[in-house]
Amino acid sequence: MINLTIDGKSIEVKEGTTVLNAARQAGIEIPTLCDHPQLTPYGGCRLCLVEVEGARTLQPSCTMPVSNNMVVKTDTEKIREARKFVLTMIFSERNHFCPYCQVSGGDCELQNSAYDEGMTHWPIQPNWKPYPVDASHPFIVLEHNRCILCRRCVRACGELVGNFTLGFEERGADSTLVADLGLPLGESSCIGCGTCVQVCPTGSLIDRWSAYQGKETEVDVTKTICLGCSVGCSVDVLTRDNRLVRIEGDWEGKINQGVLCEVGRFFPFDEKRDRVLTPLVRKDGNLKAATWDDAISAAADLAKSGKVAAVASTRLSMEALQAFKEVCESLGVASVASTEEGFATQAAEAYAKKSSKPFESKLEVIKDSDCYLVLGEDITKDHQVVSFFVKRAIPAGTPVIQVASEPSGLDNFANFSFLVEEGKSVDFVNELKDLLRANTSNYEASAKKFGVSADLLKDAVQAMAGSAKLGVIFGSRSDAAGSNLLEAAASLAAEAKGKLVTTKGNINSLGAVQLGVNNPIDIKDAEVVLLALGDEELTQQFMKKFDKAKNLVVLSSYVSPLTVNAAVVLPVSNWLEQGGHFVNFDGHVLEAKAALVADDGVFTNVDAFTQFAAKLDQTISANWKDALKSSSVVEITM
Amino acid sequence: MAKPTVASDWLAGCAGCHMSFLDIDERIAQLIELVDLRATPITDLKHPDKEGVTVGILEGGINNTYNEEVAKQMRERSQILVALGDCAVFGGVPAMRNFFTLEESLSRAYVETPSTDESGKIPSSPELAVMTRVRAVHEVVPVDVFIPGCPPDADIIFFALTELAQGRIPKLEHTNLMWN
Repeated sequence: MINLTIDGKSIEVKEGTTVLNAARQAGIEIPTLCDHPQLTPYGGCRLCLVEVEGARTLQPSCTMPVSNNMVVKTDTEKIREARKFVLTMIFSERNHFCPYCQVSGGDCELQNSAYDEGMTHWPIQPNWKPYPVDASHPFIVLEHNRCILCRRCVRACGELVGNFTLGFEERGADSTLVADLGLPLGESSCIGCGTCVQVCPTGSLIDRWSAYQGKETEVDVTKTICLGCSVGCSVDVLTRDNRLVRIEGDWEGKINQGVLCEVGRFFPFDEKRDRVLTPLVRKDGNLKAATWDDAISAAADLAKSGKVAAVASTRLSMEALQAFKEVCESLGVASVASTEEGFATQAAEAYAKKSSKPFESKLEVIKDSDCYLVLGEDITKDHQVVSFFVKRAIPAGTPVIQVASEPSGLDNFANFSFLVEEGKSVDFVNELKDLLRANTSNYEASAKKFGVSADLLKDAVQAMAGSAKLGVIFGSRSDAAGSNLLEAAASLAAEAKGKLVTTKGNINSLGAVQLGVNNPIDIKDAEVVLLALGDEELTQQFMKKFDKAKNLVVLSSYVSPLTVNAAVVLPVSNWLEQGGHFVNFDGHVLEAKAALVADDGVFTNVDAFTQFAAKLDQTISANWKDALKSSSVVEITM
Repeated sequence: MAKPTVASDWLAGCAGCHMSFLDIDERIAQLIELVDLRATPITDLKHPDKEGVTVGILEGGINNTYNEEVAKQMRERSQILVALGDCAVFGGVPAMRNFFTLEESLSRAYVETPSTDESGKIPSSPELAVMTRVRAVHEVVPVDVFIPGCPPDADIIFFALTELAQGRIPKLEHTNLMWN
């Protein structure tokens, strides 16, 4: 431990702590701009200068480690003058037009810093050199005139996302934020995750949708989770007057620790589907608006009239799926199917049946790996935030091995990327295991068999052999032989004493498995088909399955060919308008909260199913927790 | 003791700061009890008294030789010079033309606008003031008090003026300090 004095206060902190963090621990506030709690200290803005006794000049507290008997002052006339001068220089560097900047008036850390120093004007005026605005990206606008060169975005892009799109070119006053080697952001390797926007202290990186929609003091914040995929990232949903303003990653988030991908941050704003806003019942061949009661009666009458098949979205909450399952049980449905038909979980399920206990690990364990093997999907597309954790480990020397049957977004990042024919991937993974076990030096034969480089193969196997904590990430998009591939991957993981996780599909894929409703669709003899689609975006392939189906009863948030062809349509709320619990891919039971209020006449899925049950003279038990007690592929934690 | 005298004028601005000043509404009666309001652009007297005033207020930035003259006269004749609003303090919206040459700006305004027919030409007369780069007031004459804002809130203007009227230099901080 190190003892030091800050502003006359004696403080004891751990060795290696920065002066800034030591001050924070002691409740002493030092203004900062380039510093961000989630990023490595950079020392770029010089706003955090402090006086250190014995030092010739003022020192940046964010990069200075504490030392024993250090005496620090954070609030002297000299420091206040220096801060004002630092801010004066920053304001003179680019062109800051506060009156019409959307972050002005509370959301701008630069402006707030100037206010804190009581600056009423700029002692040095800008030199009026115009800087470009890059609006080439579909979600993000880069306004160079407002950039203070703090490099928070650059650090976030590299350290948190591992994408390394953003960087700087030139030096001094000519320093410019660039994407790749100077490409427009929209044409660059940017993946649109928006982490840079979230950390930008000024209005230099802004997103198109939230601009001018409301300052942070004017919005309501709901802490909930993203339902975009099975990861279940914690998000802060910012709303104003029941309108979505912005979605930000929750730095305290259990799963994601602040990072989000484009699916969670931006896609909800780009929703192009029309909402279903009134219940509809088909009469004389045409869909006619009806009251909820009439529509739900019509649906119940239909359901009682013949053999029923049922399909539920794996984006529905545990509460909703349990309620739907109970409705289906009372209608005599033998097997409730899901929108993903168990495709993303069947391999893991089959493997779990063979081993008596959960065989998958938690993300927090996988994140600690010292070598990664990724196979079965392009995680940079299907489970982007998981790919961030893999990519960000690479610069520290963590080798990443990818086995894929088609080009993937991870190709540019993985140290070893093996493109293996789909039919041969099981054999290839088994070969990797054999090579690992054999401790051989002859890789030529194996390499030839699969058409890969022998040197690459050797290095990859040696990387795995040298790792103490191999993390195997198994994708959801394996082929029909997925079970075999998973078995091969699991036995490779076992050989290397590593850990494995499968990414699964939707946010509640695993929950649906536990409830026994993640089954293949079979509507052959069905006279009525209940479709609880929630707000899921449906594929053509999925919708095609119902081309010939009779009497569709559709519960959906959005208009689709299925609602158009339905006999009864019931409008239900989307993910932002209802709460509930979900079991994410690594078995965390996560709670979502409603951030918006649905329009009148739009019911939550649970309410809709409860009313449906009432028409069938049933009540809903709402007891979804029991299903989580039975054995699963991964330990389920509340 | 005589009441402090106050004069104001507007330069390259939009008059919005003076409108915001009028937004102090009935409080203007309280203000008049404290100060002697002299020349302003919205009263009959147009120039600050030769004998000088206690407080001179300038709205808008300085974008031509005429503005320079007005600013210099106001500076000479006031004990305390106040820059009122973002244009006077920073340059504001008019200063965006600093990104272009004067020729480009004039051509855009008088020749290239869609509503201008082929007879459009840049005005030239020896009587017209010569245009310059747009500057904040403090780039031309020393300023004692800065009241930023676009426009400054009526409450902030009232606070600043009542402080000045009572012989104090207003200190803008916390909720009184707003650049937007």
